[in-house]
Amino acid sequence: MNPPSRHGPGGTPPPLPAHLAAPPPSETVFEVGGLSVFYGGHEAVRDVNMNIGARQITAMIGPSGCGKSTVLRCFNRMNDLLPDARVVGKVRYHNEDLYSREVDPIEVRRRIGMVFQKPNPFPKSVYDNIAYGPRVGGFRGNLDDLVEETLTHAALWDEVKDKLRTSALALSGGQQQRLCIARTIAVEPEVILMDEPCSSLDPIATAKIEDLMERLAQQFTIVVVTHNMQQAARVSERTAFFGSEIDRDGVRHGRLIELDETGTLFSNPSDHRTEDYISGRFG
Amino acid sequence: MIPTAVTSDPPGVPRLAGRGTPLRERFFRLGLRASLAVGVLFLAGLLTYVVVEGWPRLDAKLWTNFPDIIDPSRAGARSAITGTVWVISLTALYCLPTGVLTAVYLEEYADRDRWWNRAIEINIQNLAAVPSIVYGILGLGVISRGLGFGQTVLTASLTLSLLVLPIVIISSREAIRAVPQSIRQASLSLGATRWQTIRRQVLPAAVPGMATGSILALSRAIGEAAPLLLLGGLTFITFNPTGVHSQFTVLPIQIFNWISQSRAEFTALASAAIVVLLVILLLMNSLAIWLRNHFTHRW
Ligand SMILES: Nc1ncnc2c1ncn2[C@@H]1O[C@H](COP(=O)(O)OP(=O)(O)OP(=O)(O)O)[C@@H](O)[C@H]1O
Ligand SMILES: [Mg+2]
Repeated sequence: MNPPSRHGPGGTPPPLPAHLAAPPPSETVFEVGGLSVFYGGHEAVRDVNMNIGARQITAMIGPSGCGKSTVLRCFNRMNDLLPDARVVGKVRYHNEDLYSREVDPIEVRRRIGMVFQKPNPFPKSVYDNIAYGPRVGGFRGNLDDLVEETLTHAALWDEVKDKLRTSALALSGGQQQRLCIARTIAVEPEVILMDEPCSSLDPIATAKIEDLMERLAQQFTIVVVTHNMQQAARVSERTAFFGSEIDRDGVRHGRLIELDETGTLFSNPSDHRTEDYISGRFG
Repeated sequence: MIPTAVTSDPPGVPRLAGRGTPLRERFFRLGLRASLAVGVLFLAGLLTYVVVEGWPRLDAKLWTNFPDIIDPSRAGARSAITGTVWVISLTALYCLPTGVLTAVYLEEYADRDRWWNRAIEINIQNLAAVPSIVYGILGLGVISRGLGFGQTVLTASLTLSLLVLPIVIISSREAIRAVPQSIRQASLSLGATRWQTIRRQVLPAAVPGMATGSILALSRAIGEAAPLLLLGGLTFITFNPTGVHSQFTVLPIQIFNWISQSRAEFTALASAAIVVLLVILLLMNSLAIWLRNHFTHRW
């Protein structure tokens, strides 16, 4: 197996690898078509159609329970872990059907990483947290270098370089969450999915994570679920608004209502439900 | 100077003095202390009794000498002590891997909607409540006679393994369940396989809990006499076990044997052996408590 390519070490965020330096603007990473997800007999989201572009931040906003996390988990097959979840429809990743038989979910998750709502570092040292993904993936290079590069890349190196061997649980909540992001980029995925990564953090820690996201978006494709509309407006290029609908049979289910450039969606939404939500007039 | 005693409250200032602890609550606390005292007093009484009774025989001969029917002053519990060590070590060897792996299967792999997995679960819960003598009958019928292992260390440790296996499984499952789901998700989202996740995250985090439960299970096995008596009343053994096919005795059986002798010297010998057994048990339980306090993760 080839070791994954590494970017050079350094105190400042390293330059982008050549093959990523000039992104073709319209490259599509995910194509979602007619996606519905069921939990048991209950349809949580219905008929979602959307595209996600490469190396940009796509935000997903909307009221609680409309299926944002559910859709996000379809992108790296985390729904497989829920025994009664069933995914119908098409999720294509670089034109490959993520849910086809030949696809190995382990391989999918190596390419498409995930950061969770609550910081969930392993109860191990900072070093081992970063090294975990590469280790289980069979990385054969120099782990010390990899850890340093990754932490530098995640703008965490200066804060933790003296604590590499102490437990990650001793870091602050914001540091823990940035460590989780660093841990994700250590396996060099192409996409990072984030489910409300800042919801348990204070404004300063949130600002640091937003900075980090913007920098990472030069190299990674990021999809972020957030309840913070300012955050969506600040960091994302495109925003998807999800809402709940009740169909003719009285069944409530989540829908993708609108997806647009973030500026357009917030200033000039085409659906009145989007407008109600972002102006706080919903519910 | 701080002004002393305020004679009367200025008007409009709320008073904070209450009516004290209600009577009912005081009775309740008294009841709690009384129940605690019952337990502690019984234990203290028991310990004093055996130490006083066994004092004359708490000497080196107790672990250097073998049992002696004729002369109690020369008799010791050497074969019983080594027998106990043999039997418990082998019991641990058999039941810990089996129990831990079963727990991993039930917690991490078994689909709870399948009837056979639910049947296994219910079975294990019930097995934990089966009286130990029943395991003795099982050991005698199936392991000793059926498999032809006879009255050996092997038979005894297999029987005790069966006896404590349900406890090991149940406590290991609890330890595995205490590892938060978010850790598994984090591991899987980094591209780890299910087995890597279990091996590198779940098991290490669950080890302290599993060790605690297992030690408590083994200390139950160490004190068991009933099932082993059934396996053939191996009470007079004047040699150490030499292997798994060796005949043997263990402390509880040796104690049982001495107690049933009429001479007072033998009763003292029994008390001395009880002290040894209790010390071993206390050490094991302290180890379990220490493990629990020092290594269990607080998430
Ligand atoms: N594991 C599950 N089992 C059963 N139903 C689930 C499960 N996860 C989510 N659901 C249901 O699916 C629907 C969508 O849930 P989801 O968590 O995707 O919403 P969300 O938009 O992320 O909400 P929030 O903003 O509160 O996180 C809800 O009705 C929820 O009850
Ligand atoms: Mg959610």
